[in-house]
Formats: sequence, C-alpha cells, structure tokens
Amino acid sequence: MTGAPTVIDAERGAHTAGAALRVVVVNGSPSQKSKTMGLVEVVLDALRTMLPVEASQVDVYRLGQGFTGATERDDVTPEIEGMLRLAENADLLIAATPVYRGSYPGMFKHFFDLIDQYALANKLVLLAATGGGDHHALVLEHALRPLFAFFQALTVPVAIFASAGDFDGVTLLNPRVHGRIEMALADVTDLLKARATGAQAPADAGTGDGTSPSSDHKSRGPAARKQYDAA
Amino acid sequence: MAFEIGIMTFGEVTEDPTTGRPPSPRQRVRETIEQAKIADEAGLDVFGVGEHHRSDFVGSAPAILLAAAAEATERIRLTSSVTVLGSEDPVRVWEQFATIDLLSSGRAEIIAGRGSYTESFPLFGYDLQDYADLFREKLDLLLRIREQNPLTWSGRFRAPLVDADIAPRADGDTIPIWVGVGGSAASAISTGRLGLPMAMALLLGPLTFHEQTIELYRAAAQKAGHEADALPVSINTHGYVGRTSRQARDVMYPYFAKGMAENNHQRGRGLRLPRAAFDAQASPGSGLLVGSSQEIIDKLLAYHELYGINRAIIQTGFGGMPQKEHLEAIERLGTEVAPVVRLEVAARQREAA
Repeated sequence: MTGAPTVIDAERGAHTAGAALRVVVVNGSPSQKSKTMGLVEVVLDALRTMLPVEASQVDVYRLGQGFTGATERDDVTPEIEGMLRLAENADLLIAATPVYRGSYPGMFKHFFDLIDQYALANKLVLLAATGGGDHHALVLEHALRPLFAFFQALTVPVAIFASAGDFDGVTLLNPRVHGRIEMALADVTDLLKARATGAQAPADAGTGDGTSPSSDHKSRGPAARKQYDAA
Repeated sequence: MAFEIGIMTFGEVTEDPTTGRPPSPRQRVRETIEQAKIADEAGLDVFGVGEHHRSDFVGSAPAILLAAAAEATERIRLTSSVTVLGSEDPVRVWEQFATIDLLSSGRAEIIAGRGSYTESFPLFGYDLQDYADLFREKLDLLLRIREQNPLTWSGRFRAPLVDADIAPRADGDTIPIWVGVGGSAASAISTGRLGLPMAMALLLGPLTFHEQTIELYRAAAQKAGHEADALPVSINTHGYVGRTSRQARDVMYPYFAKGMAENNHQRGRGLRLPRAAFDAQASPGSGLLVGSSQEIIDKLLAYHELYGINRAIIQTGFGGMPQKEHLEAIERLGTEVAPVVRLEVAARQREAA
C-alpha cells in the first residue's frame, strides 16, 4: 500500500512538437491485473498516436487508511492530498471502473467525494467501464456521467464500455471496442491538443531522429517506473 | 469440404420425468456406446462426448468413453465435445487421443474448450483466476505436441519439457484440434488468429446468434495470414429429429426442459423453460434443431447459408431422454437428414464454383 500514484509513462510518441497531455487515470478496480486497466491501456495507446502523453494512475483500492479513514478533505494525509490534487490538475482525467452491484464501487466514489466541488469544472473527463456482460453498459450514462455532471466536468461525448467476453484475460481483443475508442478520441482531438500543458517534448526524444520509438512504444524505462512525488 | 453431420452427448444421469427414476451410471455408459454404434450404422460423420465432473453426468472422462466407442464403430469420427483444456495436462490429452486415434484407425478429434462448467478447476488444483491464461498456455502446448516430437517447451502452469518424447503419435498425419467457442468476441478472435477450426456452441437463441462470432473469427484469421474461408466451422446445438414436426417437439420438450432446469441455474434455481418458449426456439428463425426430417434439412441448410459452416453436431437426448426415442432420432438424422443435406450442400458448392 502506498499513497503515491504510479507514473505510467512519461514517453513521447511521434510528436516532437507540442506540449504533453497530462493524463490521470482514476482506476476503480481492486485487481492488480484488471480488465479495467487493460481497457485503459488501449485508450492510452490510442492517445499516444495523437500527441505526447504523460500518464499517471491512481488506484483507489491501494490508497490505504489515509484515504479510507477520511470523511472530509481536511482529514486526508498529505500523501492523499497530493493524489487528489493530481487528479484535479490533470489535462485529461480518465475515470475507469468495473461495475459492482450495478454501479461504480464505493471506493471509487469515495475518491470523488473528496475531490473539491469545483475542481473538475470544465475538465476533460473520459468515462470508461468494464462489466461481466453487456447488460452493464448503461453504467456509463446512468452512473458515471451524472457524477461528472455534478462536477460540471466536460465529459467526452462517447464513453467506453467493454464486457468480459471482449477480453482474453486482461487483453482487449474486440475490434469494435477499439473502434469505439478511436471514435471517442477523434471527437475531441483538437481539445486534447489545446489543453495539453505538460512539458514540451524535447526534439531528440525517443530515437533521436525525431521519429517515434515505435517498437519500443510501450516500454517502461527506469524513469517511467519511478513513483510520482505526490507531496 | 464435404458437409459433416454428427451427434454429441454429455451422458446425463437425469431422472426420467415420466418414471421419476434416474438411470444407473452403468446403464448410461452402455447407452452412450450404443448411441455411437447406431450413429455409425446410420452413416453419421461425428460422435462427440462432453466433459462434466458431477454425479449427474457420466462424461467426466470422455477419452475413455470414446475409446470404447472406437471398438464399437467403423467409420464415424470420435471427438471430445469439449475437452476442458484449462484444467487438463495437454501431454495426457494428447496421449489419450492419439491412443484413440490408433484404436480407431485415425478417427480421433479434439474440441478444446474453456468449459462452461468450472467443477474441474478445483478438482485438479487450478485457480479459476487463471482461467484465460490456463487455456491459452495449454492450447499452445497441445498444438506444439501435435506439431513436433520430441518437444522442448516451458510455460507457467506445468513442469518444462526438455527434449520430451510424447507418444504415441497420431495414426495418420495429424489429429484435428478444434476450439469450442460460446459466443464471446475474444474467443472467436483468438481462435481465428491461431487459424484453428471453430466449433460454435448455441444453446438457445436466434439462428443469427453467431453472426458476430463468425465475422470476428474470419477477420482475425485473415489478418493473421490464414486462409479464412477455408477454415472448418461447425455449429453445435441441441435438437431432435422426429416422425413429424409435432411429434419431434412433443418428445423433446419434457426432457429438454428438465435438463435445462437442472443444469441452467438462475439465482441457484433451475430455469423451467415454458412450452411456448420452447416452441419459439424451434421456429425457423431460431437455432434449436428440432422437428421433422424436412425441418432439420431446411434449418441445417439455413445454417450453412448463413455462416458457411461445414459441420453440424446436434446434441441429442439432453435431459435424460429414454434410449429408444434417442436412437430413433439418431437413425432419422443419419438416414433421412444427412444424405439430403450433403447432396444439397455439394450442389450449392458446385454452383458457386
């Protein structure tokens, strides 16, 4: 259990120009290896083909007592405060969760209960969920979207859902879901670029010739593994 | 590819609703072999036995039943339907089916499946958390065993093989290995990528239930460089061939409804299929293969047209149908249905060529 979010990567794609999009994934799955993060990985891969991305991840089930013991924002430990601020300051927030008992898990909601009421106003939020079957797909529109409507967030119009049957283990195989992700991101390409506030990608990033380290696209270098300093 | 028609059974030990008594397991294994014999004599192409590890089935060891069936038959192909590969040792599976292949002069086949029941996993010490990884790894090993001998291989779930001699080998060149697919997109895609024949299971629902399955399968196969249209595909569904349309439904219904109630639980209770719902499943647009010989011919041709399948395996007698009625359906399927469907499919293929 740690209070620090994992920096998923700080890699640049094929884009030498422009600021990196600072993406924060709030992950509602309790599993170490999950379909929910399997789905998010595909979203992040798609994003990386569009612009430079700096992604980090908050696993709500791994935040510990400093989080679960807090009923108000003032109660949280400095570590958790850092996590909440990270989410509040993201360029793009990905709210990703499995469906539990017909909705998002309580632990996931607890994280957003601690988020400042106006911190997500006009914030780009992509909704993603996984469920045991297609019956759960409306969780996106009936549970997740109203939550972010409360925050007056700018939710991406197309939300992403995948069923257990779309995965082999945690690897997403169904091309229809891939297509849906492409569509969701294509709708907001300009917005994503306009809102990217991360560090400018150095011109010699990757292979040094200005092209993408394509085969190395998802590699996790030592720098990328380091824990984000939440304090 | 000639169109193949067969039957399969789970060897249910279900009480007969008309007498209230279950058959003895001894009676049931003998009946299972007799079904294979009659299917063979009637000219059917395939006989399958499913794997279930519970007291209400005698099919926990399909390979042994198929070995007995090999001795009682001449021409019919003998397949598991399915082998729950995730909880098996692929080395043992290969040894057993290669032995059946020798006993039967090259008639053994395997349908590898993930399994719709999960009893076998704790029984053999496997964690259901690994369900997907187990199947992927074990299928990989089974295919490698088929491909080469001796074999060096290592994986997560069993001891590595170092220059291992795995015998016997197949009677002929190979043993067909199919993959059973229930309808999830991911299974269809991973089967297509491997370029393996696909056995599509359809329990209840419209004839068109597997449209996405077949589309994703062929697209994945094509993308992986396999000749997608040449891959064998089968439909496996419940059915009964009767004297007439009405008689077929009347005979099948009470047993099927009973079998469904005992094996298809919702909230821990059996689902009793109402007669009207059963009749709807038997209509031309639905998948169930129940009816007169002519109805079954029409529906098999509809399946062929829709999916381009070249094999149909009908699960006959589900729910503990008495042997007499069961054997009558097998005979009709072999003598009245199969010859017409084979000719008609061949004629259509000539027209298309």
